[in-house]
Amino acid sequence: MTMQKEQILTSEEIEILQELMNIAFGQSAADLAEVIDTQVVLSVPFIKLMQVADLPEYFKNHVKDYKNINLVEQKFWGRFKGDALLVFSSGAGKELITLLKHDEEVSLESDPVDILERETLMEVGNILIGACVGKIAELLQDVVTYTPPMVAVEKGYQEAISGGRYDPECTAIVLKTDFCFEEGDVTGFLFLVTSNDSGTWLREALKLFIEQYE
Amino acid sequence: MEMIKKILIVDDSPIARKMLKSCLPKDRGFEFHEAGNGKEGFDKYVELRPDVTFMDLTMPVMTGYEAIDEIIGHDKSALIIVVTADIQMKSIKKVLDSGAYMVLKKPLKREEISSALVKAEDTLQKAN
Repeated sequence: MTMQKEQILTSEEIEILQELMNIAFGQSAADLAEVIDTQVVLSVPFIKLMQVADLPEYFKNHVKDYKNINLVEQKFWGRFKGDALLVFSSGAGKELITLLKHDEEVSLESDPVDILERETLMEVGNILIGACVGKIAELLQDVVTYTPPMVAVEKGYQEAISGGRYDPECTAIVLKTDFCFEEGDVTGFLFLVTSNDSGTWLREALKLFIEQYE
Repeated sequence: MEMIKKILIVDDSPIARKMLKSCLPKDRGFEFHEAGNGKEGFDKYVELRPDVTFMDLTMPVMTGYEAIDEIIGHDKSALIIVVTADIQMKSIKKVLDSGAYMVLKKPLKREEISSALVKAEDTLQKAN
């Protein structure tokens, strides 16, 4: 397993990818801050190579303290392709409704809360995922397209994230960042999962990126 | 007159430090020092008294926000240029209010670094 990991990305390539994730999520947070009334507190991103079979356990370990999770998922594909999973803590949907700046009064009374919650999560997810994945792709001279976001509201981990979604033979490159909001009780993780299918292109793109700074 | 000789780069990412150094003019004979987190950055600031400090914000052990507070608390005239991916208006305002000299957005561009250095040198000249 170690040999396989070494073949996918070197430690320097992982460091470059980590810096790209840092830049990209910074862009996401800035875009989100345009529409919410609070600051997104960022943390140091983390890159991990692992067997796809180990992914469910890895996700579970990160969200185990959440009673339920809210999940926004989008697949993206270009030469950089994979799956973006944005996980929010329990209750985040309702918190986000109050944090979002609406041009009109939020119609909490007229609209069913579950619909509003789903739409809010979808909107926030779209901003965070789109800006982050889009920025990484841009920095690596790529263009990606996305599937429409899928949203799971207040689900148990097992229900929201199924184990059999990825090819177990593949190695996954997981880009993870966690965040919280300065106000409101909202925390979460963004996982970008890309497989070794993108490996050859990714190594070349990372090399081209860092060459600008040689 | 060239006022900047000693430069401290504080960033947890070795790649980010390398990227920053590569954007600085090669013919100036700068003396570079590096730190991998805010705490180390503050300690090196006290020890070395750099002319300019480039500071990331999102770092382990001690964040850039905290390190700026520590450095400015120690030396009000410290010239700190924040280099960050965190470009939220509130983040920028917070560090400028804390006494940072200016904020540059990652990924860096050579022209931005050059004009930041010219501005910093001008400020140092006026202060002396």
